[in-house]
This record gives sequence, C-alpha cells and structure tokens, in this order.
Amino acid sequence: MKALKYLLASSLISVFLVVSFGLNSVSAKEAIPPGGSHDGVDVPQPIEFPHNIHVEDNGINCMYCHTYARRSKVAGIPPTSKCMGCHKIIATDKPRIQKLTEYWTKGESPRWKKVHDLPDFVHFTHERHIKRFVFDQDYPVEDVKEICAFCHGQLKEMTVANKVKPLNMGWCVSCHEANGGPGDCWKCHK
Amino acid sequence: MSLSNILNNWSHYRRGAEEGGHHTYEHRWAMAINLDMCIGCNACSTACYSENNLAVVGREKFDKGQAMHWLRLERYWDEDSAEKEFPDSGAKFLPMMCQQCGSATCEPVCPVAATYHTPDGLNAQVYNRCIGSRYCSNNCPFRVRYFNFYSYYETSWPEPLNLQLNPDITVRDKGVMEKCTFCVQRIRTAQDTAKMADRNIIDGEFTTACAQACPTSAIVFGDTMDADSQVTRLWKKHQVVRHTTKQDKRNPELRGYRIFEELNVDPSIMYLERVRDTEV
Repeated sequence: MKALKYLLASSLISVFLVVSFGLNSVSAKEAIPPGGSHDGVDVPQPIEFPHNIHVEDNGINCMYCHTYARRSKVAGIPPTSKCMGCHKIIATDKPRIQKLTEYWTKGESPRWKKVHDLPDFVHFTHERHIKRFVFDQDYPVEDVKEICAFCHGQLKEMTVANKVKPLNMGWCVSCHEANGGPGDCWKCHK
Repeated sequence: MSLSNILNNWSHYRRGAEEGGHHTYEHRWAMAINLDMCIGCNACSTACYSENNLAVVGREKFDKGQAMHWLRLERYWDEDSAEKEFPDSGAKFLPMMCQQCGSATCEPVCPVAATYHTPDGLNAQVYNRCIGSRYCSNNCPFRVRYFNFYSYYETSWPEPLNLQLNPDITVRDKGVMEKCTFCVQRIRTAQDTAKMADRNIIDGEFTTACAQACPTSAIVFGDTMDADSQVTRLWKKHQVVRHTTKQDKRNPELRGYRIFEELNVDPSIMYLERVRDTEV
C-alpha cells in the first residue's frame, strides 16, 4: 500500500513536472550542441564543391551523398558515379561540372582532401552519434544537417567544407559530459 | 574521463579486490585457457602480432629481452627433465599475457593515470597519456608489459608490409608502455554493433585474436557478467571465483587456477592444469 502511494505520488509529481516545465525523459535527453569554434585553414579541393547550393538551395540531405554516416564509422565521400547520377543532366554547362565530367570520362576520381581529420589514435564512429542524436530522438531525418553542424559547422553556408569546430579532446569531452556520452578513456582512445 | 573525474573518483579506481574492486562494472571480460589443449604452436602469439600492430624487433633486441610479444608462450620442463627422454621430460606450455587484474598492481603506481581500470574490467593503457616511467612494468608480477625502447615502426614494417597494419589500433612510438588489451578494438566494435541494434552483446559474437586463431580452442574469451557465457560456465565448472587470494578447492579433479592470485591481484584469466598422459 505504501509502495502504491509512493508510486501515485511520484507519478503525480512527474505529471506536474511535465505539464509545468515541459520536461520528460525524452526531452531531457535532447541534444546540447557543443560550443567552441575553430578558424580552420582553407583546404583546396580538386573541384570547388559548393555545399551551399546542394544543401541550402536544393535541400539535398547530407546522408544522400555521405551515405555511410548512419551505418558506419566513417561518413564516406560519394563516388563520382553518384555525382554523375545527377550531373549527366543537371548544370552540364558549368565549368566545375565539365571538370567533373572530364574526371568521369577518364575513369578517375577527383582526389578530395580530408578536412575533418581526427588523429589516428582516436576512435570515432558516425553511426553511434547519428543514432543517438537523430534516430533515438525521433529527430526528423530531413533536418539532419543541424545535427551534422554540431561538429562540421553550417555547411549550408559554406562552399568548400572548412573546419570550424576545434575537434580536440576537451571539446569532445565537454559534449560527452553535457549529453551523457561515455566518459571512459578507452571508449575513444585506441 | 576528465581530470576532475580522475581526482574525484581516484579512490574508486584504486579500490582493492576485497572491497569489490572497481565501483560499477558493465562487463567483466575474462578468459579460460585450457593448458591440456595447448599444443604450444604459437598461433595465438602470431595472431596477436598481426591484430595489434606489434613491432618485430629482431633477434638482437629479442635476446636483450626487448621483444614486444603481448602474448608469449612460456615453456616449462619438469625439474628432473635432464634425466628423462623427451615425451617424459615434460614440456609444458603456458600462454602468458596481461591477466587484466581486478586490482592490478600496475595501476596505482602510474604517476599520470595512463593505466587505469575500465568499467569493462580491463586494465587500460592510454598511449597518449603514458610518459614512459616504466613503473607499471616493474610492478607487474607477470612481466607482461612491454616498453617501446625504440621507434620500432621505422623498421618493423618496410613497404609493403605497412599495409598490414590494423587501422583500429595505434602504432606506438618510442617511450610508450604497451600490453595486451584483450583486443579492446574488437570489444569496442562489438559494443557499437550491439548498441546500433539495441541489444546486448551476445556471447561468442566476437572473440580475441588469440582465441580466434587457436587451432584447439584452448582459449575461451567472454563476459563473466553474462551468466550463460561459455567462460562463466567454465569458471563455475572448475569452481574458480573472483575476489579471493586462495581458491577453496577440495576436489582434485578441478583443474582451474589463477596465476599469482595469492598476491591479491584478482587475475581475470583462469588456467586449467595440464593432465599428463603418463599420469593417467
């Protein structure tokens, strides 16, 4: 009886809390984006890929091209065939696309340079982060760019990607502490 | 684990086995090695070399005791072996690697907390934090910690052998201590896979490189917090328990023992004694 009373009381309190502060177990887990900024050097790419046109103007999902982000450690650079899937038809008169087509007809890939390069002693997995912040939260997948922006900055405002977050240990740990990520050294250090 | 976390929880990380060891365990990785099945083929050691990017140091440095074999095969002869012919002279093999002690002697002596106890029951070695004081190695009763006296990576993997390096584990440089990790990169991958599927790790889903390579399945690896795992059943079968310095064993048929448990280090590896053909 006592337990029942306690249950009733605690559930009443929690209902009160939910109503008054809008707090419940799901929203309490809501993402707290990491702060901090970094002034990354420009990384010259073989083709000046305009992220803003693809993301902002055309509303293409990040994971349409970086397709492995949700199921692998690495997000992946799309193969040239994926670019050509659209650009056989779209914007073929633009010089950048002509350069791309040149690569394609030669059977080569543009040698894209890595911008967000973590040290070799760090284990980072995209899939766990995407699951934690998108799928586990029922976050709308079409807005995933806002989650990617935690670490990669607002790519809808950039042309060529630039490193705008520090991506160092203190910065990672601050976000892990804020969002309840693992705090064990060996979870990330390998 | 931030610095404030270390300072606040220092006593937790330094708690002895008699008090239950580490505060909360999520897993408790352990092994059972059946010495009766061990044929001394060194496949486990070789597998460890390729899995964990262990440097090959060459004969000269090996003779000086600078070999980097995280898993070494120790060979023992009977005390009176000189008087006997070969099969009776009693060659015994014992795979010796880090015992992932529950209250490890290496941990409290590290001046920079580069080696610490993880919630998975492992003795972690964080290479970035290690300053190479070698206290841990000197304090280890099993002598299973290996120090990089040289930049072995410069000569150990000449092209194209560098392509065999495992990307999931760091290539260590000069001045860093290293040791068996129970293939933590595999544990990490299994944990990631399990969490992606919203389930717990299934026993036998993954194993360490040495256990995988063992042709006689002498090495069994698993989680002793999983009551149904193969390793738990073996520990129970041979009545080997944790948090003790002496196993209460009255049945001589039970072959399980832990090396140096009398030192109160609470090793995570149970060995099963060899049964000699001549004795049976």
